[in-house]
This record gives sequence, C-alpha cells and structure tokens, in this order.
Amino acid sequence: MKPSTIVRTFLILALLGTLSANAVAERPPAKPAKVFPYAIYKKTLPNGLDVLVVETPEFKSVLSYNTLVMAGSRNELEKGKTGLAHLFEHILFRHAYKGQIGAYQDLMERLGTHNNAWTWFDITFYHPLSFTSNLAGRTLGAEQLPGVMELEASRFKALDFNEKIFKTETGAVLGEYRNSSTFPTLRMSERLLALAFPDHPYGHETIGYYEDVVAMPNHYEAARAFYDTYYRPNNCVVVVAGDVKAEEVFAQAEARYRDWQSKPVKPVPEAAPLQGPKREPVGWPADVAPRLYLAYRQPRFETGSVETAVGQLLAELLVSRSAPLYKKLRFEKQTVSELAFAEGTQGFESFDPRLVIFDAQLFKEQYARKGTAYVDEVIRDIEQGVGDLQQFSRQKDAKQILQTLKSKYRYDFLAAMSSPAAIAQNLAGYYRFQRDPEVFEKLLGSVEQLQPKDVEAFAKKYFVPQNQVIITMAYEAAKPAK
Amino acid sequence: MQRKTLLVLLLLVVPFALAAQEPKVLTVDSSSPLLEVKVMVKAGSAADPAGLEGLAYLTGRLLLEGGYGDPKKPVTKEQLAEITRPWGEGAYPRVRVSKETTTFSVTIPREVFTEYAARLLRPLFTQPLFASAELDRVRKETLEEIRSDLRFQQIELLGLLALDNDIHHGTSYAHLTSGTVRGLEEVKSESVRSFYRTWYRPENLTLAVSTKDAAIVTGLRDALASIGQSTGEATPLSARAVEAPAPVAGRHVTIVGLPKAIATGLHAGFPLPVTRADADYWPLYVANVWFGTHRDGFSHLYQVIREERGHNYGDYSYVEYFESRPRYLFPPTNTPRHYQYFSIWIRPIGNEYAHYLLKALTWELDNLVRNGLTAEQVDAAKNKARVLYLSLAENVDRLVGYRLEDEFYGLTPGYLDQYLARIDAVTPEAVNAAIRKYLQAENIRYVVVTDQGLAEKLADDIARNRNVRGKTPKEYQLDSEPREGVPYWLVPEGRLKTLQQDAVWAAYRLDIPRSNIRIIKAEQMFETAAMPE
Repeated sequence: MKPSTIVRTFLILALLGTLSANAVAERPPAKPAKVFPYAIYKKTLPNGLDVLVVETPEFKSVLSYNTLVMAGSRNELEKGKTGLAHLFEHILFRHAYKGQIGAYQDLMERLGTHNNAWTWFDITFYHPLSFTSNLAGRTLGAEQLPGVMELEASRFKALDFNEKIFKTETGAVLGEYRNSSTFPTLRMSERLLALAFPDHPYGHETIGYYEDVVAMPNHYEAARAFYDTYYRPNNCVVVVAGDVKAEEVFAQAEARYRDWQSKPVKPVPEAAPLQGPKREPVGWPADVAPRLYLAYRQPRFETGSVETAVGQLLAELLVSRSAPLYKKLRFEKQTVSELAFAEGTQGFESFDPRLVIFDAQLFKEQYARKGTAYVDEVIRDIEQGVGDLQQFSRQKDAKQILQTLKSKYRYDFLAAMSSPAAIAQNLAGYYRFQRDPEVFEKLLGSVEQLQPKDVEAFAKKYFVPQNQVIITMAYEAAKPAK
Repeated sequence: MQRKTLLVLLLLVVPFALAAQEPKVLTVDSSSPLLEVKVMVKAGSAADPAGLEGLAYLTGRLLLEGGYGDPKKPVTKEQLAEITRPWGEGAYPRVRVSKETTTFSVTIPREVFTEYAARLLRPLFTQPLFASAELDRVRKETLEEIRSDLRFQQIELLGLLALDNDIHHGTSYAHLTSGTVRGLEEVKSESVRSFYRTWYRPENLTLAVSTKDAAIVTGLRDALASIGQSTGEATPLSARAVEAPAPVAGRHVTIVGLPKAIATGLHAGFPLPVTRADADYWPLYVANVWFGTHRDGFSHLYQVIREERGHNYGDYSYVEYFESRPRYLFPPTNTPRHYQYFSIWIRPIGNEYAHYLLKALTWELDNLVRNGLTAEQVDAAKNKARVLYLSLAENVDRLVGYRLEDEFYGLTPGYLDQYLARIDAVTPEAVNAAIRKYLQAENIRYVVVTDQGLAEKLADDIARNRNVRGKTPKEYQLDSEPREGVPYWLVPEGRLKTLQQDAVWAAYRLDIPRSNIRIIKAEQMFETAAMPE
C-alpha cells in the first residue's frame, strides 16, 4: 500500500448564512444551514454498541479509528483504588492477541498505525490513526495481517493480559505521576477536588492518589473487575472518520463486534451539594509564583439545554482577552500574569455536575510586598467579575456582546474540525451525553438562541458562595508581609 | 558530509528607497472556509544583540500588543481583540519567536480577508507603536515565567532548555528564545524600534496563505509591502553572526539541582551537521524513528526503559530540534534552525536510578553505533515513518507552516511533498552508513535535573564509576521461594534477558572525570546567555 498524499482540501458545504451581517436583511427566515459540513452515519448493533461514521473523503487515505469507553476516574468508586481507569488505558496496549504476548502492539506496528489513548474523569479514549487500506487488514509478504478493526475489537471484547504485565505497567503509571507531580498544579487540584467532592469520585484526579499509584501492583483483581464492568458494548462508542464508506464500516463492525456481550453498568451516585465556601492553602518547596484556583460547582452537560449553552460561552465572557474581568486583572491592575479556566471548557462538559476552575497566576514580587492581602484582592476581583454576570442583561450592549460571541463560537467550532482525528474526538466527546448524532447542530442551535437573561440566570444560580472552593498556593519559605 | 559553513552575515542597513523588493508569498491550496495566513520574519532570538537577549521576543509580542495605527488614536491590543472577536479565536494573531525566525499566524474566515487585510494586517505590521507601558507589562510577565515557572515548575522543560543552552554555549543560539533575565531587563522601547526597523522589512519577509486565489495572494502581499517604513529615528542594529555549536570533546555532565525534587530528568546531546535539506537527513531520520520516536511505543528507548522496566513515562531521541517537547505529540512548525543537534530525553525517573539510566542511555547509543540496524528493523522504522506523515500533514495550518520552513531550508520539493518517496527510498545500507557517520557515544553533553540534595553524591558516583544497579527482583515483582533461609528468585525466561542487560548497563563505564561535572542550581539558569559555572 502506498498512499499518495493526503489531500489538503477541506470542503465545507455550507456555512451559516447569518455569518456576514449584511446578508441577513430581507430574506425570509429559513432553517439555518448546517455548520458541520459532513454527514454523520450511525448504526447501533444488537449488543448496544453504537458505531458512528464520518466520511471525509478529502483527507485521502486517512483512517481515524476511535473507541470511546464511558468510564474514567468517575467510575473508581472504591477508596484506595484510584487511578485504575487510567492504568487500564495502559493495559489495553498490552493485549495478547490470539494468546501471543505483545502481539496486539506488534501487529498494529506492522500494519502501520500511530496508536495512542487518554483518560479523563468520565471517559477513556483510544485513537489509533492509520491508512484506510489498513481497516480490513492486508497481506505482507506471505502473511495475512489482521486489520485495525479486528485488532481493536479483539482488545475491547476479550482483553488478554496477565498479572506480570499488569505489574510492569504500574511502573509506567508511577513514572507518569512523577511527571505530573513536578507541577504544583497537581497538588492544588488534588486538594481542590477533595474539598469539592468529598463523597464523589470526581474528588480525585484521573492519575489517582500517589499512595494508590504506588500500591497499584497489588490491585490486579480490582483492575480485572474494572475491565469486566465497564468495557462493554453498551458502554462504548466506536467513531470512524476519514476516507471511509459508512456502509463498509458497518458491515465489518457487525462481523467483528457482534460476539461482545453487553452488561448493565451501575450508575454513579450523585454528589451532595458542595456546602461552600471552602478555602485551603497549599505550600510548595520551590520558589514559585503564587497561584490561585477558584472554582464553582456547575450543572451537568445536557445537549441543547440553555444552561449548557451558557457554559459554552463562559470562558469568552470571563477569561478571554476581551472579557472585562480578564482585562481588569491582567492589563489594568496587572495583578495576574495569566487568567484562564484550568480545564478549558472540559470542567463543565461532564456526566455529573462538576466545576469551572479559575486559574490565576500571580506575581512573586507583589506577594512578597503585600502577602495574603494580595491574594484576597484577586479573589475579590474574580468574585466581582462573576457577580457582574448576574446583572448581565442590564449592560447596555449585552445583546451585541452576545451576538459577537455567537459568531465567534461558530468559527471556533469550525476551526476545531481541522482533521478527521479532530472531528472524531469532538464528535465522540459530545455524542456521549445523550447519544445523539445531531449533537453538533443542537449545541450550536442552543447557543444561537441564547439571550442576556439566560446568562444572568445561570450566573445567579451557580456563582454563589455555597458553590465555591478556593485553593491558594505559595512557596513554603516565602515570608510575605503580614 | 561537511556542512558548508554558510551564513549569515546578513547585511542590514539598506536605505529605504532601495528596499523595493516585495515580500514573497507562498501558497497551499485548500478550499476550507477558514484561511491560514502566516508571516515569517527571517530574524529571531539569534539576532538579539549581546546583552539584549529577549529583544526579538519582545518585538514580536509588542507588535501585537503595543498598539498600532495613528499615534494620536492608536488601536490598542484591547481594540484589536474586539475587532477580531467575531471571526473566531484564530483571528487574533499569534507569534512564535524561534532562533532564526519570528512567525505570525492567523486563521480567519475567507470572506473577511479583504477587511482583515485593510483594518488589521496592513496597519499592524506597517504602523506599530510599541507602547512603552506594554513593554513593561510583557517584560514583567516574561521575567516571571523564567524566574518562577521555568526554573521551578517545569522540570522537563528546564532540562531540555538547559541542554539547548549548553550545546550552543557561546553562540547566538545559546539563550532562550524569550531572552535572559538580564537581557530582558535591559531592553528599551528604542531597542524594540531598532529591531523592527532592521529586520521587519519586505525583503526579509516570507508570507504564506492557504489558497491560490490571486486576489487574496495579491491582497496579502500589498498589505505587507510597506513594512518597516514608519520607524522614524530608530537606529539600525548590526547583524550578529550565527555560528555552529562547538564540537564536544569527551563526556560532560551538568547537574541542575531543584529543591526537593521527587524525580530526575536525563538529557544528552551533541551537535549534528545535518538538516532536512541534506540527503543524509532521511536515513538518519529513519534510524532515529527506530531508536527514539517522540511519544510513541515503537521507539527502542521507550521499549527498553519504559515498557520492559517501567522506569518512567517515555524515552525519546531527536535528530532535529523539537520545540516544547512536553506539550506536543508532533513537532510544532515554524521553528526552523540551520544548526541542529542529536539529543536523547529520558523523562522523569526515580532519583535513585539516575546514574544507572545515564549509563543505560549511553550504552544503548553506543550499541546502536556499533551494531547498526538490521534490514527488518529498518523496514519497521520505515513503516512507522510513513504513518507519522499522517500526523505531520494533519491539517492546513501544518501544511502552511511546513511550506514556510521549506523556504527557510531552501527545499524543493517541499519536506512533506517529498516525505513519503524519500522514506521509501531509504535502504538499510544508507541507514547504517548514516549512523556510523553522524552518531557516536564518546562526545556528549549530559544534563541531569534532580533534587539538589542529591547532586554532590551523584557527581561523585559518576566520577568514581561507582557500581549502580537497576531494579531489584522484588521491584520487578518477581516471585521468590525460600531455600535454606535465603530467598531464591524465580526468573521467568523472558525476564532473564532483562536482568542480564541490567547487569551490562550497570557495568558500563562512563569514565567521566569529576572536572567534567558541574553542579548548578535551577535559580542560576537563564540569568545570562552563558551557562552558569
């Protein structure tokens, strides 16, 4: 097989007519054209596995083959066993295809695949990238190599691994923890989550607690049980994007995945209300700049809902270059060197209500001069910023601002769809909530409908002291002014 | 191959009247509704005058943030943000300052191009104001980034940038692209104007856009044609030579100490007289794909250190500079360099294995040089290299970025255009010849970032060739049974090889005299362009 080139054209069939203001005027209101330029095909197999296909033939020879497992650290319900979902992401690469140790990885390599995965609170996402000709397998010399779909199906429905492999992989996870733990932000978010979710698995980081990661080699049985519970067709979604034909993908998927047994997944109990405000300081042994996490509990993601639509614009309203709060702190008062949401929009794109986290990086020198009064001032300013949103519709240009943000949102949406892999990841990420293949249009539609009063209502409901948690971090040996 | 010592005494003081040459525009064909536009200035941090390190960076940042247009009614950065806001995040210009280039990028809706060029591109690039209040703010933020973030929070980046600094010690490549603490403190508004006047000139620009539409191509060229003419009295700067890094003689270790670090990062490297413009690049690239592909389980180093022994998160090697390695799965574009180096990156490991894995990485490199690769290994690496193409060419932004780099390296056909054919043509003989010609394990600069309390002992251990060990049988989770009161480890067949190789690594002699090992503290790094002594 020799792919010629990936063609670089990205055909967009239609853009919203409303994008350029002067085009709107006299035309009768029509149903807006779709923003997402490709058709999404869906088939649900009898065992409950959803297969989604996005045909993007302009990206010649590209195969983006993705499996979304709807389990992440949110499903780690047992104390002392955090980090298993992420460990499992690693173990999946150790699959002994047809009983041969290392065969899965070896065959994927010989086919020619870039193979990776990631784990988050709600989900684990596996995303090999290859050439379309590898979907169904090919001959290499005298040998017949199984295709990407066969190899992927095999590891999800009948993972073969042993305790030795498991234990070795725990070492790699410990290495990953070490990587992350060199950043004060890991310690900050560990404490933040623990305070925000004392009774819910959102209370720990995806990587798990250090003690649990160290003890992981002893958790083989628990890990097996995790796989058995969550790696089920009814709990997974396969998304294939690229130079493929939906009909062919569906036909093969039926053959490869039909013998995967479904099993009901037990629901995760809901978290109790936050009972804020809560606040805790965290120290750091090196001379770093102080930093602040200020979080509020948020609603869960619901495709098409008004609150979710407001959530899509929150970053732009609060921490973008044009947001009044951002301009005040970074440019006018210069009390922060950066202000952002710690997890982008992912903080509130979740199955259960989670958090939006303001991440403010402060200046050493101001901390040395003013001490905690400086940190308190930044906190007050952020509170004032979210407070202003509670009166958003009283701003005289509120409608105009919202109009601008809607336009920006559409273009940002398009920009995010820059390749088959990017399309597949976005689709899987949003599809998972209501299992709705129309999710893109519904999300865009709900943002389009927003009114200033919706923003205001959201702010009044969620940006309240009871929903607030604060973590402050500073150099342990810093001696700030009292 | 001996690299022709090209470079670079670029001349500077061209009278305005003579500078009629128009900027060159490169194109990539795409019918996406979003246009990628890039402006490459052929000057980066290597053009910073000595003592003013950070000038190129501040100039790039201030072009975007220091206001533009009529000085009496300037368009501020806040207004720039307002103007671009309805067109999406990509419409607010981004800048990347590299050693020899400064590249600005925007992503805009195709239908607003004309308006964007007139309201924004033209005045932004041709009438910058470089407000001094903005200089103070950007400087303050950049200093904070170096002093607290880079030195104390980014153990991985700290090691990678310390190696970059050490390899290029004494040349204009040495300092961070964002500058040094002393250099940043010295930059004045006047210096920024001088840098702009000297380098932001039509003949020194290359533009690129993701369309072949003649109206857009012409519109882009026209918008930038009069760049550099509005700088008033600014004094031009004299050029700074760009030199190849000095050859390394023997093995040298720099230990960078951090307070209470729970992990150690290892780095090694030496100059490589090859860029992607050389024919030898391709076999060397394939060899490196086998040895250390970035963030990929295929890599040999990753296999033996992470997969087989579980020491860390990943282990990689490079034949070309790769910016911000901790952040990206694939190299970001617009960081081209005429001077490259080979490097190995061992991500954070347990502190107790630092010396042992320093030996391991050196032995592995040594072994690669001694034995080369088999035809099967080369085939597998070529297969992997082909797949990497899918990611290198993933989207239009990357295609445009590579197009600009092609111009920098003088590559026709372009890097991505020839990539697959070049990989196919690589033979095992060529790979092994390239390994023998360019790689070696005797002359290496190492950087070790570790806990400062352990630094002295580590230096001592290395200098004395002290015996070290890898993981114990217990750490490898082997079973044991007591025999006459002594535990006997039950070593499965597959594991025996691991333990034997551990012994080989442990016994390997680095032979580094104490005088070749220096210990510094993280807070000393990046104060000036020189490595701290």
